[in-house]
Amino acid sequence: MTLGGYIYRNALRNKRRAVLTSGSVAVSLFLFLTLQVAKREMTIPPEDAGASLRIAVRNKISLANTLPARQLPAIEKLPGVVAVMPFTYFGGKFKDDDSLGFAQFAVDPGKFRQLFGEAKIPAEQFEAWRTTRDACIVGRDTAKRYGLKVGDRVTLIGTIYPVDLELKIAGIYGGTIDDTNMWFHHVYLDEAMGNWGRVGMWWMRAENAEVVPGLLTRINALFANTSSEVRAETERAFQMSFVSMWGNISFLINSICSVVVFTLALVTASTMSMTVRERFRELAILKAVGFRRHQIVACLLAESFLLASAGAVVGVGGAAWLFGSGAVKGLTGGIFPSFELTVRIASMAVLIAFVLGVFAIILPARAVTRMSVVDGLRAVD
Amino acid sequence: MAAADPIVAIRDLTKVYRQGEIDVTALDAVSLDIASGEFLALMGPSGSGKSTLLHIIAGIDRATSGECSVQGVDVARLNESELADWRNRNVGFVFQTFNLIPVLTAAENVELPLLLTGLVAAERREMVAAALDLVGLGDRARHLPRQLSGGQEQRVAIARALVTDPQLVVADEPTGNLDSRAAHDVLEILASLASRGGKTVIMVTHDPKAASFGNRSLHLEKGRLAES
Repeated sequence: MTLGGYIYRNALRNKRRAVLTSGSVAVSLFLFLTLQVAKREMTIPPEDAGASLRIAVRNKISLANTLPARQLPAIEKLPGVVAVMPFTYFGGKFKDDDSLGFAQFAVDPGKFRQLFGEAKIPAEQFEAWRTTRDACIVGRDTAKRYGLKVGDRVTLIGTIYPVDLELKIAGIYGGTIDDTNMWFHHVYLDEAMGNWGRVGMWWMRAENAEVVPGLLTRINALFANTSSEVRAETERAFQMSFVSMWGNISFLINSICSVVVFTLALVTASTMSMTVRERFRELAILKAVGFRRHQIVACLLAESFLLASAGAVVGVGGAAWLFGSGAVKGLTGGIFPSFELTVRIASMAVLIAFVLGVFAIILPARAVTRMSVVDGLRAVD
Repeated sequence: MAAADPIVAIRDLTKVYRQGEIDVTALDAVSLDIASGEFLALMGPSGSGKSTLLHIIAGIDRATSGECSVQGVDVARLNESELADWRNRNVGFVFQTFNLIPVLTAAENVELPLLLTGLVAAERREMVAAALDLVGLGDRARHLPRQLSGGQEQRVAIARALVTDPQLVVADEPTGNLDSRAAHDVLEILASLASRGGKTVIMVTHDPKAASFGNRSLHLEKGRLAES
């Protein structure tokens, strides 16, 4: 027999309690991970390869205010600009779908590849989209969700704009971090709106990362003191400003996580206290036969670690498996396109488990170190 | 009460417990010598101080005043860690309620004190087997405590007390939870430890029959000693 074997058998002495304790750690850590990954997705959306070169130009007043289409040539002329594309969120309703559905954007297909080159789509389908005014392309996940295929005709009922759009699916794309969107011609929206002459915002691509800061300054200056002042910002800054509309989501989620961890700490501490209290006489015997205080505390700590670690393996492993399988993307209707469990977040959960292992044993260990052999024997006898 | 070759020498040993506002004297200036190889029975009514005396001799309790020397070592001068090491090497414990670890087999329970000695696994196994053979339980080594009778459990506890080959074995009411047959077996083992093994055995008991197995009986009354 080794001390390790002794600790292992003690940990599993009351199997039901051990399973419930480890289970509560696992479930709580899983919840913690889910919340932290969701927070990360909401506050730091995943970026693709071209994100560092993309610039968003929106109305300075708010994202809801549109911009005049006549700004395009002025932006295109700026040195360091590779491509500029109109970008308008249509926000239409598809069929009788009452869910969040999917996002639809009016863009310029001729510039699309330069701006969002990550999308994988067969060349003939892309070409069909580019050359057909009422055509659109749909993300693979949305096509799968609604059973859409190339050649189908769909109607989007306008909820923001007072027009309905009849669109023909020319292609289905994939390979982006969010394969749920629908893209269609901006000129088609413009026509439907009676030559509206406005765009939601501009997306542009810079030559390289070095010119980006200068471009931001020049674009903002270009339309300063006009009726449509703009705010140019990097894709990351744009995403963060978008996120700010959620309110202080980080504080909310961190508060919930704190409550979860605190509750878990109380549960594990209570369990370990019970475990030690039931074994006071045995621990007194260990002392009597020569075990020192720190050796006994080390055994209890190892036992506590073992239970917490088992919970961490199940909780973190389960989360890694579930999040990695892409199930969350399906369960949330694509709201969280990647739901990636990062090493940093997983490490936080493992660290919490270890801290719990220590915290749970503090009070019982204190009682054991203070207990004399005689008191330990009297406690039960 | 001087012994020719005392392994335990006690002088003016006093133990006072504080219970709330009241001081309770458990031992009152007890002086006593116990010879090596002696089987001493400590008797007396409940609260007479016999278990307290046993605990102080075994180094699991401390006296308020006086001296208690075991094998020439004044146990009162040892700190907690030194005392733990000393107990591991020099004292074997047998309790009324056996106190075996329920998740460990008989052999593993016996092996427990040896985990602190630095012996390799093969040496430990050998010593465990010898200790279990000595109490007649060599064939029950792999049994869990719940698979043993009360008498067998107490014999495993005796094997655990002997496995480190201590000179001193202390037994606190070792037959208190046993039927007469099992009690007889346990007492015979303890007696043979002293007569054949040369161990010094100190046993606390209420039972005159059990005390008759010893070489000497001492009575404690209200913390004071009266030899019989």
